[in-house]
Order: sequence, then structure tokens, then C-alpha cells
Amino acid sequence: MFQLLVAGLTVGSGYALVALGIHITLRATRIVNFAQGEFTIIGGLLALTFVQLFHANSWFALAGATVAGFALGLIFERLVLRPAARSGEIPLTIATLGTGFILLYGHALIPGWGSLPQPLPSFSGEASDAINVGGVTIQVQSMWVLGLLFAALAVLYIFFERTYYGKAIRAAANNPTGAKLVGIDVTNARAISVGLSIALAAYGGTIIGPITLVGGAGGTAIAIKGFVGAIVGGLESPVGCVVGGLLVGVIEKLIQGLPGVQYGLSDPIVYSLLLIGLLLRPQGLFGARSAVRD
Amino acid sequence: MIARLRADSRTLPILTLIVIVFGIIAAGNPTFAQAGTYAAIFAIAAIGLSLLMGNVNQISLGQAGFFGIGAYAVASLTTNWNLPAWLSWPLATLIGIVVATLVGLGLGFIALRFRGHYLAMATLAFGLICVGIFHETKFLGGAIGIEDIPYPRFGPLTISGYPAYWFAWILALGAALLTLNLLRGRSGRAFEAIRNDELAAEVLGVPTRRYKIFAFAYAGALAGLGGSIYAAFLGIVVPDAVSVPLSISLLLMVVLGGSGGVSGALIGAALIGFLDISGHQFENTREVAYGLLVIIVVIMAPGGAFGIIRSRFKASSAAALPTCHPELVEGQPQSHPTTATPRTITMPDTSAAPLAVSHVTKRFGGLLAVNDVSFELTRGTLTSLIGPNGAGKTTLFNAISGIGRVSEGRVEIAGVDVTGLQPHRIAALGVGRTFQNARLFGEMTVLENVVAGAFRTERTSFAADLFALPSSRRSEREATERARETLARLGLESLASTLARDLAFGDRRRVELARATASDPWLLLVDEPAAGLNASERAALTADLLKLRDAGMTLLLIEHDMRLVMSISERVMVLKFGTMIADGKADAVRNDPGVVAAYLGTAG
Repeated sequence: MFQLLVAGLTVGSGYALVALGIHITLRATRIVNFAQGEFTIIGGLLALTFVQLFHANSWFALAGATVAGFALGLIFERLVLRPAARSGEIPLTIATLGTGFILLYGHALIPGWGSLPQPLPSFSGEASDAINVGGVTIQVQSMWVLGLLFAALAVLYIFFERTYYGKAIRAAANNPTGAKLVGIDVTNARAISVGLSIALAAYGGTIIGPITLVGGAGGTAIAIKGFVGAIVGGLESPVGCVVGGLLVGVIEKLIQGLPGVQYGLSDPIVYSLLLIGLLLRPQGLFGARSAVRD
Repeated sequence: MIARLRADSRTLPILTLIVIVFGIIAAGNPTFAQAGTYAAIFAIAAIGLSLLMGNVNQISLGQAGFFGIGAYAVASLTTNWNLPAWLSWPLATLIGIVVATLVGLGLGFIALRFRGHYLAMATLAFGLICVGIFHETKFLGGAIGIEDIPYPRFGPLTISGYPAYWFAWILALGAALLTLNLLRGRSGRAFEAIRNDELAAEVLGVPTRRYKIFAFAYAGALAGLGGSIYAAFLGIVVPDAVSVPLSISLLLMVVLGGSGGVSGALIGAALIGFLDISGHQFENTREVAYGLLVIIVVIMAPGGAFGIIRSRFKASSAAALPTCHPELVEGQPQSHPTTATPRTITMPDTSAAPLAVSHVTKRFGGLLAVNDVSFELTRGTLTSLIGPNGAGKTTLFNAISGIGRVSEGRVEIAGVDVTGLQPHRIAALGVGRTFQNARLFGEMTVLENVVAGAFRTERTSFAADLFALPSSRRSEREATERARETLARLGLESLASTLARDLAFGDRRRVELARATASDPWLLLVDEPAAGLNASERAALTADLLKLRDAGMTLLLIEHDMRLVMSISERVMVLKFGTMIADGKADAVRNDPGVVAAYLGTAG
């Protein structure tokens, strides 16, 4: 049981980071990025490239992928989101879906990335290393994933709550006109938000890479479960997104681990959560009531 | 017929011709024939989605779910039944369509609760749940799906290979024609009104919720039909084929071709159908190309391929416009609108007051917007409601017309308790209303706006519209006729084919008044009609309002122009901070110290 919980929290970390990335982009641009999950996959593959080309260690690859993700986010914002914003919400949503299509099918065209999932090297020791806590075996990699998740959350928290730039970005997202009036460059703040959100996706793709493998067509599944997490927790609440993502991971693993339940049923059940969540509590567990129908 | 569809109606025959020519060319080329067949199959599903996106402004990322329902219905039923071949496919298809329609109704009902990206996600979840069910259901073959689905057979004719091309396109073009019929009639105008301004449509009597649900069911039915043909021709159905990528592909078709109407969907489906086949050996590259194409279209040409065609069409027909309606040019010059004599107004045969408001209170959180207001209107009179800004006048109007729930109290219209009814039901009793900010349907012409105003008096049905039955065409003719009359009464004929968004401010108000009176309501709520009008326009408006009253209409007017109010009102009511502080004859109210204080403030 405890083992399932840890396994759930591990995959849930990936979902939590996708959910949080969706939240950051939504806050800044009022748009849900349907390509967020695919960016997660690309992030993992970027890390793989750093490892293969430069024989970098995992830490170096993680830093490289995150920075590359940030750059990718800036490009995505400048080439897709900004120009498409004039066409309205539905076309903009479709543009993010188109981006997802490009990333999902395009990554297989890049030499070395292929279409088969590949493992990232582990952060310490062997992938199979485990420690024993009170009779329960826990993979060392799982510890790393959770540790790195919370490290990222701490950094984001400090950035948004404690630094001038972070506050300016939040102001730009909350009230663009007001922010402009006090001299904040709203366009820039949006770009940086999207950059951060994609950097987060790349970071997430890398930290779960040693366990879930990187590449392949897994992006859609991660993206959708990230959405489920965001909806369950509350799209408008950062804490909700993280908790929701983790919760989805745990639920998924618990269902898979239950005796007598078909393994394949976990996905439909998790997806049903999306619809049930939307219907029963569209603002999510942590959201305020107001934002639902806009 | 709404203007946007004119290009569509003319393009459909051309597309039909292209399909025929291509079919003849493809006779000796199986690859072509196959590509054409798939294009037809996807076109059917895309037409439904196009209606959903372009005509009702709803997005769906779950259309593959309906496609799958149709495909699995044919797959499982035809492989299990021992029915004669000619009956097997049509019956299975029918069942598939019925199930898809019912599921579509359900999804439409759910979709009412969401907008924008929440709707996108809810429909995405729906599609995923469908795939999950296909995947995990034993008798649907699980992950392997169902194989060896028989081809449809009618007597000696087996529908496969080349004949399939014709079969699929006959169904696709048939679906396109029916959809076009639907959009040409009253239903299409209602869709267009909803797309432009949902609230204004509702207040004119359009059951907007029902129309949205219907659009989902219709899109579901068409996707189901597409799926059932797909299953029969491919011979195999697997869950992955009807999963998210198909939903997104359908969306791409509609975006590439252009949403709203049918031609865009046909063009988009044909485009993707061919890229699909011709790019067969370039898997992945092909999908990347779709993605790029869609982003480029969204940025450079949001109307899609057909949008480009349509704008050409508009440019070439604009020059010819004045001669299109010679009868409009001959009429009297526009700005002398004093011939307003409405048709006779008949109120329900009851002794009850046209409008009785009793103890109505409306709170927004801690704010008391309307506080225990009661009054009754006398039949055939003009009453004005005045008060400082923020007094709760428009809130009271909203309470009467059913927009938002009242916190306490009740509203009766001609003796019928309408408290809590939806706005379109209240409108259907014979209640008209205009808005403070003239909520016209911007993308529709003035004439179409007024025809839309007569929605509740038109007698036609979905089915009659769908098959363009004589009754539908007659109703359409009569409604247009009446709308022209209404415009003529207000001297607005020369504006009939102007798009509402291009109107000058004063004309906008008058067109809204024409729209609100097009259905001959007997109770009319008019919200600040004179705001922003110049002196001669005000004079014309005053005359219009008095004519309406003299014809038997009961009017309730919100207005700030005191001279206008005092000159035409039999009775004046004054609201201040949500409370009625005066109610009586114009003169008495004018000299009421409380009212003077409210407007001018008191010394000391």
C-alpha cells in the first residue's frame, strides 16, 4: 500500500508539474496550453541529448533541459501564442493543439530521439537502487523525483512571492491594464511566464525520465493526466494544481494495484475524474467559485 | 437566409461538380478512389463539427467518440447478426446514429455548463472515456478491436472499392445539403443569433440552451454516420483509430476549411484526406505539416480556406448590391420615419395587468440592488422608470425579463407567474425588450436582425427546415415580408442589407426597436432608447414610441432625458438605491421634494 503511494506520488510529480505549467500559462495569457504535455516529453528528450552528445551527468542535463525549455517557451510564445491571440480564444486553443501535434509527431523525426521510449540515466547509483524503510522498499529514484519537485516549487514560490520580477509578472497577469499603467512591460511578462511554464515542463520531463522513460507517444497521456490534476485541484490555484497532479498519480497507481481490477481500467477511470471533477466542482478542490464560466 | 450562407449555397454545386469530375478521373485509380472515399467519410463528421464551432461557437475535442460509436455499432452488429446483407448495414448504422444522437444530447446538456477551455477539456474527457470503454469492453474486441466487418451489399452490388467512392459522397453531399437547408431557415438564423449575442437571442424568444444541445446532438449524429461508413469500408475498427488524434484531425479539417456552414468542412476534409493518402510514406512529417498548417491558418486566415473564397465572393458581389433589391431604393428617403403604425396588438384575453411586480428584491452579495419594489402597469399606457445611475432600473428590467433570479418577490405577466422562468419563455408570452447598449447581432444584416426578432411568431420546425419543406419556405418568405414591413414602418428600408456592426449609433437604437417589435409584443421594455441620439432622432423616437402605445402596446421605459420622459409618460416611477421613492403622474413626480433631492441634492 505504502509502496503504491510512493509510486503514485512519483508519477504524480510529472502530472503536478504539467498542471502547474498549465496554470502559469493560463494566468499570464488566459489560455490553456494543450501542448504542455508534449513539451514535457521534449524536455526529457533534450536532457537525453545533453547526456548523449556531451556525456553530461544527470544534473547537467537537467539544467540544460530546463534552460533549453525556457528558450523553447519564449519561441513558442513569440511565434504561436502572440500572433494567434488576435484570432480569439477558440482559434488560440486550436493553435496550441497544432503545436502539440507538431511536437508529438515531430520529435520522432529528430535523429537520436526516435519513436521508442528510452531511459534517462539515474540521478544517483543504478536505476534499480532501493532503500528499505521499515520493511517497505522505496526506489531511490522516487526520492529524487519528489525532492526535485519540491525544490522546484520552493524556487517558484520564492520567485513569485519574494522577488520584484515575480511580483511584476503576477501583477501583469492579474490586471494587464493596471500593470501597464504602473510601467510593467506586460508583453514581456507574458513571454517570461510562458518561458517559465515550458522550462517547468522540461524540468518535469527530465526528473521523471529515469523512471518513466522519455520519448514515444506518451506525451498525450501525461498532458491529459496533468489536465485532470489541474482540474481536480483547481486550474486557478497553484497549490491545487500540484496537489491535484499528485492525487491523480496516487489514484492511478492505487487502481492499478487493486486486486481484481483490470490494469487497463485505470486510464478511463482517471479520465472520468476529469469530467466528474468538472461537473461537481469545476473550480477544483482549491479554487474560488468565480472563475468557472469565463 | 443569413448573408454568410449565400457564398456557401453557391459553392455547394461547384463542390458537387468537382466530386463528380474527380470520381470519373478516379475510375482507374484505386488510390485516388480510396482517398476520395475517406475524404467523404471525414467530411460527414466535419460538417457536424463545423456547425458546432462556426454556428454556435462551441468547441469539441471529443468528436472521435461519436465517430467510434457509429463505427463500433456497425462493427459489432453486422458481425454478430444473421440478417440479410441489404438490411444489416443500414440497420446497424441507424442504431449507431441513434445512440450517437442520444449521447450527443447528453454531452450537449453537460456542455451548457462550460465555456472556452473548460468546454474543450470536458469534451476531451468525453472522447477519452469513449476510447477507454471501447478498449475495455470484451464484446467490442478490447485493444484488438473488431475485424472482418462485411461490406454493405444491396442486391448484386457490393459497396467496396470504387463504388464506395460514390456511395460515401452521396451520403456526404446529402448531409451537406440537409445541413445547409437547416442553416438557411429559421434554425440557422437562431444559431447565428446565438453566435452573435446569446442573451439578446434568448430575450427574443430563442431557446438558446435547446439549440446548443441540439447542435451537439446533430454533430454527434453526423460523426456517428461517418464512423459507420468508415467501419464498413475499412473492415476493421480498433480503439486507437477513434481516439484523440482523430478528434484533433477533425478539428484541423474544420479549421483549415473554415468553420460555419458546410463548404469549409468539405474542403477541409478533402484537403486532409488527400494529404493523408499522398503523404502515406511520410508518416510523422505529414502530421507535423498539419500542425504547421493549422497554426499558419489560425494566424493568417482565421476563416480558413473557405473564408478566403468567401471574402473574394463578398468583394465581387458588393458592387452589384444596390441592384439586388430595387424595391428598397425606390422607397421613401430613410430619415423620415414617422409612418410607424404597428399591426394590431392583441393582448391575451385577461383582466390581469400586463405586468405586475410585487415585492421584488434583488441582492448581489451584500448589495441591495432592488429593494421590495411593487407596481402594476395599466394596459396600453406608457410608463417611465427614472432614477440616478445605479438606482437598479436595469436590474429591475432584468428581473422582469428573466435574466438572473430575483432574490424575493414575484413577477406576473398578464396574470402568469413568470418568476424564475427562462427569458425565452417570458418573451414567448409576448414581451419585447431592448438593451441599454443596443445588443444587435453585429454579423447579421439589419433585415436579418429584424427577421430574427420575429423568431417566436414563425411557424416552422427543425424537420421542416432540414428537408426544406414548403412550410419552411413559406414561413421564411412570410417572416422576411413582415420584417421588411417593420423596417418600412420605421423608415429603415434603405439599411436593410447593411451589417448591423456597420450602423451609426442612432440607427442602431432604431433597428433594435424594430427588432424588439418585429414579433408584435404587447409588453415592451425599452432601456434608455434616447441615450446618444440627436434632437431630430429623439423626435422620431418619441413619435415611434407613441405610435406603439396608440396601437395598444404597454410600454415601460427607462430614460434619463427628462423632457422626453415628461412629455410622453402617463406615469413616472422613481427608483433610488433600489427603492421606489415616487410613483404617479408626471407633474406630481416632477415636483416631489424627494425626487428633486435625489436628482439635484438638497441644500444643507
